[in-house]
Amino acid sequence: MMIELCDSADIGEGEIIRVDVPGCPAIAIARHEGALYVFPDRCPHADESLSEGWLEDGRVVCGVHFAEFELGSGAVHNPPVGCPNLSFFKCEDRDGKVFATLTGGPEHV
Amino acid sequence: MCDGGCKGGARGRPNMAPVYPKAASYPEYAQLVNRENAQVDRRLFVDEAIYQAELQQIFARSWLFLAHESQIPSPGDFIRTSMGEDDVIVVRQRDGSVKAFLNSCPHRGNRVCMVDAGTKARGFICNYHGWSFGIDGGLRGTDGKVYEKDQAFEKAQIGLTPVAQIDSYKGLIFGTFDPAAPSLLDFFGPFTFYLDIMLDNDEGGTEFIGGAIKSEIDCNWKFPAENFVGDILHAFWTHQSGAQAILGAGVDLGKRYDELAFQASVYGHGIETNLDKVGNTRTLGYPELVDYVYDLSEKASARLGDLRARAIGAISSCTVFPNFSFLPGQNTFRVWHPRGPGKIELVVWTLVNKNAPEHIKEAYRKGVMMTFSPGGVFEMDDGENWEYSTRVNQGFVTRQQPLHYALGLESTDLERELPGHIHKGSMNDANQRLFYTRWAEFMEHDNWTDLQNGDTAPPQKSVKAAE
Ligand code: FES
Ligand code: FES
Ligand SMILES: [Fe+2]
Repeated sequence: MMIELCDSADIGEGEIIRVDVPGCPAIAIARHEGALYVFPDRCPHADESLSEGWLEDGRVVCGVHFAEFELGSGAVHNPPVGCPNLSFFKCEDRDGKVFATLTGGPEHV
Repeated sequence: MCDGGCKGGARGRPNMAPVYPKAASYPEYAQLVNRENAQVDRRLFVDEAIYQAELQQIFARSWLFLAHESQIPSPGDFIRTSMGEDDVIVVRQRDGSVKAFLNSCPHRGNRVCMVDAGTKARGFICNYHGWSFGIDGGLRGTDGKVYEKDQAFEKAQIGLTPVAQIDSYKGLIFGTFDPAAPSLLDFFGPFTFYLDIMLDNDEGGTEFIGGAIKSEIDCNWKFPAENFVGDILHAFWTHQSGAQAILGAGVDLGKRYDELAFQASVYGHGIETNLDKVGNTRTLGYPELVDYVYDLSEKASARLGDLRARAIGAISSCTVFPNFSFLPGQNTFRVWHPRGPGKIELVVWTLVNKNAPEHIKEAYRKGVMMTFSPGGVFEMDDGENWEYSTRVNQGFVTRQQPLHYALGLESTDLERELPGHIHKGSMNDANQRLFYTRWAEFMEHDNWTDLQNGDTAPPQKSVKAAE
């Protein structure tokens, strides 16, 4: 089931924001070249916050040990040892609201 | 006994605020500089306790040279250097300012930056347990799987220890560990008048070119510092053969200009110059550099006045107290980092005017390498002297014998309208006496009011002349 996260206007181009959804782990939303990406605000490497990182060349960069994850595929670059890929949640922009499927585990957009 | 509130031996939370050391007072060391008789006790060059006092009194308080602005132009650009024996990282911030930090992780102390320099760093990650610091020094994260689950962990107050104050003067960045230190400009006093000879002789400003050359010399740091502060005397003897090889003639200290030559000192910083226009530049061995400096000095007299314009390439040398030195005309800039009482790490850069033509910059770079690098003719001459001047004092009886610093006791120049303590002629121990007087002031005083108002402070007439 898709749930509403926030106004899509809240996310500027090139930004990552954090959204707290009651009952769920924190969620991060990024916008790159207009498109929205929703993913856990938790780095697959060591659980640090990805919304405190930044976007660079179409990748989410974790600000802690600098793992880089491709937006969309989640493929990891510059991985600290043992760092898996990032998973994205399915999401949509419906009439200015961001909706995503958070249940059933993360999946690619 | 643990009665339920036991925190594994801890009674509270850690206070991770930076700790800046307090200065003390060592009058017994200050007295080793005999100001009455112009003698210096040799224990200054070998004694471990005195060396530790230098780290506390001098290197933890003085403004120390860190970098040239041109070395770290963009956010995230950094270089690693030392302040005394403390390893520090100097980083350009996103807002264009510069910060510097101790290169030591607050967790178990490991170095967080292993390389000498880099560009566009995202931050610094400690190799030991993965703590990660932003270019602003703040702890950005650790291992969320462990620390985020620890309710008591206070990330926000943890970071790399910042150098207490940073400032720059015409391209040169300095820092001090002392939050109470006066401003960089006050630390220089009117000595900036002389720094401008090299830093402000051309409208485009300056830059460092060609990286740094590092070497070690087994000498006390004060021998090279005092050599550059005012010992041109040695050049006649020490550098005679090197000069003959490069110039095809002996050392010429600009005899024709004896009348003009002088030494100037403010707060222990000192310069000696012959005002002979190109004597230092000639020793680099490139005629085109001599032409360039002649031209430059013509043009610069509008900016600097005739006297300082004549000093740009002249036989001259300078030390900014305690351990930053340069040679006008030869354009070599260097820091003598202390590494114990009997060792230094020498780091050398070449400074040029940004607006200088490329072939001139290249000639400076090569010229400095041929003369003032570890294999350069002049550097080798000097190094051996400083090593033996240091090493002989291991002799117990030897080090009871005071050293002679009494050349030019009657040479004070009260006439000349120049900033600082002026002495006639460049072959003179005056600047070196004032360098050691400054050293003694740092040993003696635990506060900056006394430090800035002692014998080395600029005489009043000079302050006026500089304004
Ligand atoms: S926690 Fe993101 S790279 Fe280590
Ligand atoms: S010593 Fe740096 S993370 Fe432990
Ligand atoms: Fe020399």
